[in-house]
Amino acid sequence: MHLGSSRTVASFSYERRDAHKGYTDRFLDMDLSRPSISVKTVPLQIKKIFVGGRGYDLWLLWNAVDAGTQWDDPQNAICIASGPMGGTPAYPGSGKSIVTAISPLTGSVIDSNVGGYFGPYLKFSGFDALRISGKCASDTIVFIDGISRKVDIIEMSGLPDDAYALSSELTDHFCQGKPMDISVVSAGPGAANTRMGCLNFSWYDSARGRVRYKQAGRGGIGTVFADKRIRAVVARWEKVSVKSNNPADLDAVKNVARCHAQEIVALDPKQNEMARIGTTHLVPIMNDFDLLPTKNFQFGSHPAAFLIGREAFEKLFDPGFDGCWKGCTVACAHGVKDFVPFTGAYRGQRVFVDGPEYETIAGCGSNLGIFDPYTILEMNFYCDAYGLDTISVGTALAFVMECFERGLITTDHTGGLDLSFGNRLNALELVHQMASGSGFGAIVGQGVRRMKGIFAKTFGADASLLNDIGMESKGLEFSEYMTKESLAQQGGYGLALKGPQHDEAWLIFLDMVHNFMPTFEQKAEALHWFPMFRTWFGLCGLCKLPWNDIVPEDNKDTPEPAKVMKHVQWYADYYTAVTGNPASPETLITMSERVYNFQRLFNLKMGFGTREHDSLPYRAMGPVTVEEYESRQQRYDDQLTGTHQVDIIGKDTAWKVAVLREKREAQYELLKDAVYKRRGWTSDGIPTVATVKRLGIDFPDVMTLLAAHGVK
Amino acid sequence: MVFIDDKPYAWQADMTLADLLARLPDGDIYAVVKFDGKLISRPFFASTMVPDGARIVPVPMIAGG
Repeated sequence: MHLGSSRTVASFSYERRDAHKGYTDRFLDMDLSRPSISVKTVPLQIKKIFVGGRGYDLWLLWNAVDAGTQWDDPQNAICIASGPMGGTPAYPGSGKSIVTAISPLTGSVIDSNVGGYFGPYLKFSGFDALRISGKCASDTIVFIDGISRKVDIIEMSGLPDDAYALSSELTDHFCQGKPMDISVVSAGPGAANTRMGCLNFSWYDSARGRVRYKQAGRGGIGTVFADKRIRAVVARWEKVSVKSNNPADLDAVKNVARCHAQEIVALDPKQNEMARIGTTHLVPIMNDFDLLPTKNFQFGSHPAAFLIGREAFEKLFDPGFDGCWKGCTVACAHGVKDFVPFTGAYRGQRVFVDGPEYETIAGCGSNLGIFDPYTILEMNFYCDAYGLDTISVGTALAFVMECFERGLITTDHTGGLDLSFGNRLNALELVHQMASGSGFGAIVGQGVRRMKGIFAKTFGADASLLNDIGMESKGLEFSEYMTKESLAQQGGYGLALKGPQHDEAWLIFLDMVHNFMPTFEQKAEALHWFPMFRTWFGLCGLCKLPWNDIVPEDNKDTPEPAKVMKHVQWYADYYTAVTGNPASPETLITMSERVYNFQRLFNLKMGFGTREHDSLPYRAMGPVTVEEYESRQQRYDDQLTGTHQVDIIGKDTAWKVAVLREKREAQYELLKDAVYKRRGWTSDGIPTVATVKRLGIDFPDVMTLLAAHGVK
Repeated sequence: MVFIDDKPYAWQADMTLADLLARLPDGDIYAVVKFDGKLISRPFFASTMVPDGARIVPVPMIAGG
């Protein structure tokens, strides 16, 4: 034990309520400013409307903040919840936690989902959800001990700065000889010094004898965590079994879990091999289809992409079981052991790197013009240890590299750093600077939206070009897919509630490669059904990967192969078996619609959530520059002459860029109209009164909010 | 003989992956296949020669993220 002195500033003993049909019906409420700890009941009406997980988080957060609450106000709350099926070890992907807060990047509500053991341990300790508001005066640990039925707020000194060491030492400190009983949520110095801090959720890997972690990356919740001076939230729980949720029909849970788990075991080795190589197979596939973001989303492929894909990482990953929750047969959470960083505080030491996944490889690799897997591993390691979101870091660095190459910023602004694409040492140096809040890294850590303002106002850069190439929407950096040639995926990013993150809708292949949705109406239908069904996983404490990353062999012969309806039916059966509430594929969508529309209204409450906020940088829709256009000239010329019936004879590329832009921006606006109509929203993107009444979310403050925006 | 999802199909000299998949009633839906353990994407189907005895498994690519 290496930790320093500690002082318990608040302690609370409670009677633990076991989960019943997936719920404890209570949440743990903490105000760090006072400090206070209390246990509160989840009202039955709230349970019916919000289901759990992200739904509970949103309800708790809605009631904690008002329209003027800023991310660093004490009122801002970090809410963490599992869901009714969360913590079931037999069913693949049943260990997710969902986190919400008001985001430092977007100013509105953000949600992020993550593996690791915390959410299930929280529930089995007696709480469906946790809400933490207020701020501490000094470094603080929150310890939720479900075994001893006690919650402590502990001031602690001498803690390691970074999450890599902190997670391990706190596990050792609290585990009482059983490290498997501990899950740690922590951030790191990068979370404190940027707006893009992530949270690391740990579990103990007994086979390797070490703490592992996954990240709730998006939107800067780690930054909120650090601002509250929380160093970690620790949960302690013991044995978990399929009975731990006390499901309504245990045999039915076992049966449906066995079906899905066995199918994955049988088919994953034939299909994507996620249990062996995670999501790294996506790198060469995205590259082949011109969808791998390269050099700040300018291009979709690169000849060197094969160096950072599946074939590279299958040699680097440490073989073994890598589920981030007990018994998950997808088991995609791979890592690299005995990696030796060549920069930073861990230089020359052997470390374990948790990852990388596809997003990190694309964000910290191809999008920076870096095709060296070891640099990607080092960026992955330090981002996690510093508590930085690899997606926002990658997209932010890509932006500054393009700005540097275009002369929008120079070494005078970067502190002498040459930030040309491919400069791996300086990319790493920027990550270290971001973590310490020093040098040019302090500016980069503010995120793309704020950098655009600084570069224009302070450095005199061309604001319109910055807006075209700065890959953020709603203030959140893009995740790592090219959307230029998929209008549906432009909607998937631009219309996503929290900003451009693929967990809400990933339609590129369905739209661009398979051409399943050629009309606006079909795209709008997809932009209704898929975000709703993906939302449902977050309500229930589930991972979406088992749904459609391994599919039945006869799936292609079904009427709607994109939806993988056999699995959707299994999920309805699973929900019914745990909760005792009969469900069908249709009712799962209705559950999500309630929460989804409530989150849209939450955005409205915070001053966002209308049509103007669903905008995209033009780089997401088409070629910004002559160079981009000419790199795919045949494609764009064909679209102008074919789809749009434009005469391009004798026209130069700049003219064609402008005309194509006009066409594509108009298409995106038409898509918005179609999606809003399908979702039951006004033309300004606000849920109508009829919609909120149909969904039963017509709370008095919701109706007041709608009336204030002229929706009656 | 070549095998798609373990089902045998007649092999022909100079046959490409695109030729082979075109024989299937649903061959046009495949975007990625595993070809003797290696991933091949649709843009390369026409340029990939199929040797006798090859084993091909269509990979569902409808997911992502």
